Amino acid sequence: MTGPAESASGDPVALIEAYYAAGYTDGLPVVPPTDKSIADTLAAAALRADQTLGEIPSRNTRVTADKAAINAVMAGCRPEYFPVVVAAIRGLCRPEFAYHGPASSTGGSAMVLIVNGPVVRALGINAGNNAFGQGHRPNATIGRAVRLTMMNVMNTRPGLLDRATLGNPGKYSFCFAEHEDDHPWEPLHVTRGFAAADSTVTVYASNSLYQVYNQLASRPEPLLLCVADALANLGTPNLKGFNESLVVLAGEHSEVLRASGWSRRDAQQFLVEHARQRVADLKRAARLPGEIVPADETTERRVFEAPEDILLVCAGGRAGAWSACLPGWGKKWTRSVTVRVEATP
Amino acid sequence: MKIFDPTAAASARPLGVAPTPRLGGVRLALVENTKFNSETLLRKLGDRLGRKYGSTLAVVHRKRSPSHEIEDGVVPALRRQADLVISGIGD
Repeated sequence: MTGPAESASGDPVALIEAYYAAGYTDGLPVVPPTDKSIADTLAAAALRADQTLGEIPSRNTRVTADKAAINAVMAGCRPEYFPVVVAAIRGLCRPEFAYHGPASSTGGSAMVLIVNGPVVRALGINAGNNAFGQGHRPNATIGRAVRLTMMNVMNTRPGLLDRATLGNPGKYSFCFAEHEDDHPWEPLHVTRGFAAADSTVTVYASNSLYQVYNQLASRPEPLLLCVADALANLGTPNLKGFNESLVVLAGEHSEVLRASGWSRRDAQQFLVEHARQRVADLKRAARLPGEIVPADETTERRVFEAPEDILLVCAGGRAGAWSACLPGWGKKWTRSVTVRVEATP
Repeated sequence: MKIFDPTAAASARPLGVAPTPRLGGVRLALVENTKFNSETLLRKLGDRLGRKYGSTLAVVHRKRSPSHEIEDGVVPALRRQADLVISGIGD
């Protein structure tokens, strides 16, 4: 089925070292797959080994279920996580995601996976404290499985077709769930036409993450001014054309929005109007070419074109005055994609 | 114990190598990928080829983005309209 290439001794450490030696890992040790673990993984998603999950035509790349399953086992996934991995891979292969750019760019994007629906509770995907951090097996291994599949199957290897200048730690794994029980609005997947009872993965390319702090704001305006400023800072890639960007609101900030009665659209519109820079400042910082003319001092340029360019998601612990901005990659060359998880445990 | 191969090679797609064109008087197409300065650089290159070899600029095609493949139908049109296509500009 998978073409085992060679054998190693029964020593588990030697086996792990053999995967290193073959160049199959992301730098961390992998779980050596077995016939049974691969079969169990495929069975959990009701997939045959030779089924195609997706293709990247510009790379002549086809992702088959068996290769994805091997990488999922290597990443440490339990079999029941595999349907989520499969949905994420299908998202990466959708034309509107335009895989080649965010996967290969010097910008070094992480593939951020946002999970919604019943599968979150069923698998125990963390949406709460430390949602972006360590300590939860599904978060750690589902994202890692996708990255290993990118490296091993989709030919996205550092220094070759992954040309990241710096990269970011989210390239090892970046998977979290939306906190649907602690949300001022409907969850992300419902805004995208799915039923609340559907399980989905949203795939989004982001090359950084910065946290936004505000402990005093009790109304949306000052809080969202901080978010807008973070989204429009002079160093952000957002400034170069109208990107999609992700804003993750955590507990206390979510509560400010909920108590205000603002709709999701209200918050998005406020951010569109306030994420902006003066043209003169953009030119001083060499983010726009050309000499500064007097009108540049009073002319402003918005970072976002439309409210739907800003993805608002809720996650994280209830305590703490933190949210996060994750700039999107590459103008509108790539768009986030939401895919249904077809088989759930 | 077995080592399972998690990799997949890119599938080979046969591509013929076009004969190297004589540059004298060719019809030139530029495929601009929207990268910063892409069109500027390509047009300068087109100008130089025109001055040096007498090529004519037949068409400039602007891709949707650097990430997207060239649109369906564009390649056959370029084939009809031009003898030589220049593309592939980075940052």
